[in-house]
Amino acid sequence: MSSIKEQFNQISPSEFFYSNRDLAGFSNPTRSLYTAVREFVENALDACDQKGILPDVHLIIKAVDPEKPDPKPYILTVKDNGPGIDADHVPLAFGTVLYGSKFGLKQARGMFGLGATMAILYGQITTNKPVTVKSSVDGKIQDQFEVLLDIQKNKPVIVKHTTKEVSKKGLSISICLEGDYSKAGNKIRDYVYETSLITPYASITFDDPKGEKFSHPRFVKDIPPPPTIIRPHPHGIDVERIRRMIVESQFEIPNIDDAMIEKVRKDLGLSKKSLSFTAIMEKAKKKWKNLPRQVRVVISLMSFLKMDFEKLNKIKIEDIDVPNKKLFYWDFGDSQSKSVEMDPESLYYKQLTNTVQGEPLTTFLTKRFQRIGPNTAVKFAEFAGFKPEKRIGTLTNQELVNLSDSLQKFDDFMAPDSSCLAPLGEEPLEKGIKKFFNPDFTAVVQRPASAYSGFPFIIEMGIAYGGEIKSGGPHVYRYANRIPLLYDEGSDVVLKVVNETDWGRYKIKGEPPFIIVSHICSTRIPYKTAGKENVADRPEIERELRLALQFLSRKLASYMSKRGQAEMAKKRSNLYAKYIPMIAEFCTELAGKKKEPNYKKILDEETAIESKKPEEEENQIENQ
Amino acid sequence: MKTSKSKERSKKAEEKQKNILEMLKSHGAKVYDDLDNGRFPKFSIPSRSVSNIVYDKQLRQYILGSNSALRSAKNSAQLRSFTQLMWLAFFANRLTQEKKSSTLRDVYYSSQAFAVEFEDQSESDNIIVDLEAVTSKPREDFHIYPEERSSIFGDLNIEYTIPGYEGKTMNLSNHPDGYSIGPSLTTAELVDTSAEIVIAIEKGGLFTRFVEEQIDKKFKSIIINTGGQAPRSTRTLLKRLHDEMRLPVIVLTDGDVYGEHIAMVIKSGSANAAHLRELTVPDAKWVGVWATDIEKYKLPTIPMTESDIKRCYDLQKDPRYESGIWKKELDVFLRLKRKAELEAFSKYGLTNITDKYLPQKLELAKSL
Repeated sequence: MSSIKEQFNQISPSEFFYSNRDLAGFSNPTRSLYTAVREFVENALDACDQKGILPDVHLIIKAVDPEKPDPKPYILTVKDNGPGIDADHVPLAFGTVLYGSKFGLKQARGMFGLGATMAILYGQITTNKPVTVKSSVDGKIQDQFEVLLDIQKNKPVIVKHTTKEVSKKGLSISICLEGDYSKAGNKIRDYVYETSLITPYASITFDDPKGEKFSHPRFVKDIPPPPTIIRPHPHGIDVERIRRMIVESQFEIPNIDDAMIEKVRKDLGLSKKSLSFTAIMEKAKKKWKNLPRQVRVVISLMSFLKMDFEKLNKIKIEDIDVPNKKLFYWDFGDSQSKSVEMDPESLYYKQLTNTVQGEPLTTFLTKRFQRIGPNTAVKFAEFAGFKPEKRIGTLTNQELVNLSDSLQKFDDFMAPDSSCLAPLGEEPLEKGIKKFFNPDFTAVVQRPASAYSGFPFIIEMGIAYGGEIKSGGPHVYRYANRIPLLYDEGSDVVLKVVNETDWGRYKIKGEPPFIIVSHICSTRIPYKTAGKENVADRPEIERELRLALQFLSRKLASYMSKRGQAEMAKKRSNLYAKYIPMIAEFCTELAGKKKEPNYKKILDEETAIESKKPEEEENQIENQ
Repeated sequence: MKTSKSKERSKKAEEKQKNILEMLKSHGAKVYDDLDNGRFPKFSIPSRSVSNIVYDKQLRQYILGSNSALRSAKNSAQLRSFTQLMWLAFFANRLTQEKKSSTLRDVYYSSQAFAVEFEDQSESDNIIVDLEAVTSKPREDFHIYPEERSSIFGDLNIEYTIPGYEGKTMNLSNHPDGYSIGPSLTTAELVDTSAEIVIAIEKGGLFTRFVEEQIDKKFKSIIINTGGQAPRSTRTLLKRLHDEMRLPVIVLTDGDVYGEHIAMVIKSGSANAAHLRELTVPDAKWVGVWATDIEKYKLPTIPMTESDIKRCYDLQKDPRYESGIWKKELDVFLRLKRKAELEAFSKYGLTNITDKYLPQKLELAKSL
């Protein structure tokens, strides 16, 4: 036995996250309790969003032993009215790391459903208790599981499974974990409060361990349109992704066996009849448009072989030599290899080359990417130095790299399709801000979609001033994909943009009662850390934030100057009301009159035209 | 004979008062009309900014230029000061009618009875200057006086015009401490005098010595203590002594740049009072202590302070210091960088100043 021999062990994802749990925000009892709340609430909201259900989310945190000092075990339960999860999937979904349903390219709060499993894992390692999942997908039967996670094997262990009858759909998940509510309480309450601002269509209730109930009923009845899954944008692509897309787009020459011949017959509507080669070709021509790809390939081969189905049964295609326009096949009858010429002008020739060498570059681009039309595709090919009809199946490694680089560099692609994004919308945002802050002034803006590195994003922003807002502003509320971001605000791009704004320019001075709500929606938020708390300063995002803030600030400035004018006018009319009667009193005695002059006219007139500027301002009259 | 003269005098005083009252009334009536007709009252005030203060060579004093500012009750920034000014006119009107006098500080406190706010006395003092500027009359005409008092001594008969003392006469050499120059003295009629000259002296201490040494008799003079920079009432009295009694006026100050300027203000006024014209004695003569006297009389000196020197340079820019004795002495002060007080003569005996210096200067004054 040699001691030099090293041991290589594969570790499971569960083990990996177990040893790196602070990456995901489970570094200490305070942060962990908060992160667990977030993950479950966000999963519940995501599940409802995807099915267009107005969410009712109920969060309960209970101390196992209220007398014990923090940190101590808590039972965290989150119930929703979402679609639930099929009983078959429950153990896997909650008992495996990296099992999730969120892998498509669209906006969602979480990416892979990783966080919830991390919370379960954290609960299990701190309290050794299983997770309890209750799920009903039909509103009739509820499956109840108690699941433990086998960390080494990354597999669920079902402790208990029962069913019972219920009257509501939805999912309820409950874990026991070590937490510190005395420290995390503030953040959790803020989180629930701020979440309800950005999710105005959700009702969220929170029963805290001290017996307090926080209720945030929905105040918007319409759920924003759900995001759609879309093709990638050329700017957001790399070599590996292109390679995979090319493989997906290529097709093998189908194996022409009895089953395949039967399928061709059926698709041509010739199941029973036996037609001659010419008749088959004519029939195929008529039905071409409706034929599946495989059938078309078989027909194309037949067209060059000039064989009917019976003959076709006795040969095997060996090779399609596109450059030399030759088709090689093995004839079982003669036991030898034969070849036929292919006419490059033929429609069938094109069909075969497509299959063998993949689509032409332009077709590949227009079909597989968003935002590329035929014209753009041709322009791009020229830009990248490819022939437009270049077959993607024939690209060398070097050409692939070149293609990938050029896709990044080409500037004429339209901005990414934002239909995969689900911003809240100006109206609900404004409604939320008004309800939460009861301000004197509110303005909101949704910027047009933009993109960084091919990932579309939309900035929504709201600004509010005065009313019940406390002074010392601007207070910044940061959101990303409808998640409030509460930690690490110092290094966040939104804060950077806000702090770099010269508020004096917008007539905002001192410690203003003033809030900013910023919402970044994207298929991929560039978080600085896995904890999802602060957004990195990508120049494109920074620019959009700046534009949004400038737009709103200008509106605020014009409000402020109107407010200033109104205050001035009020002040002026107060001054008149105070001083004019005094002047009247003094001049009456001076002039030796008994009755005071009728100065009411001036006062009335002045109140009527308050907003008008005084004609004579400090003017010096020269050389009088 | 005496009674008819006296009647004439009190008639003159009454007329003056009548004019003041008329003027105030006309200002009041204008404001009244404006208000009654739905207009915001306004009036123009000569600008007292530095750029509008110019030296008039003919009048030999600083006067206000032609710039004026409009003060309107419509302008909310001016409304407060407009009201203050209206109140002051109203208050001055009462004072004049009731023949009562008031100090600057009285004015400040009186305002509070009418809910007219002044931040502090300097604000009310400023409004008083506004009233002077609008009416071109000194505040004393409205019975408003500063607190500071200077004094007078010498053979001068006066006849009071103030209420309760009308017709009463007084000789100003009856009391050795001198008479303080207040409203009753400034408004009194100057009846007659045996004096041939007025000696204005900067300091109380020297004033007392001059009385003790009977300078009034020895040199047939009226002695006036200006108490530093001469107050307006004192300057008014000096002017009246010069104009009405035809007495020459000489000024004796400390031998420093401030002393020189005290003399200059008596002669040709100050920039602060450029809006008033009845306060100067253009023929007044500064006889000492000159910078050249410091060397000539070998006076003990003290070094000039930095602010003394700065003041010298400031005055060099004043057109009145561009020529003659004013320029010459200023230049010597700057060269010496030292100064001497009037008391410096005491080095050579307490009466040295009255026995030696004064006679020489009086003699010299004739040729100035």
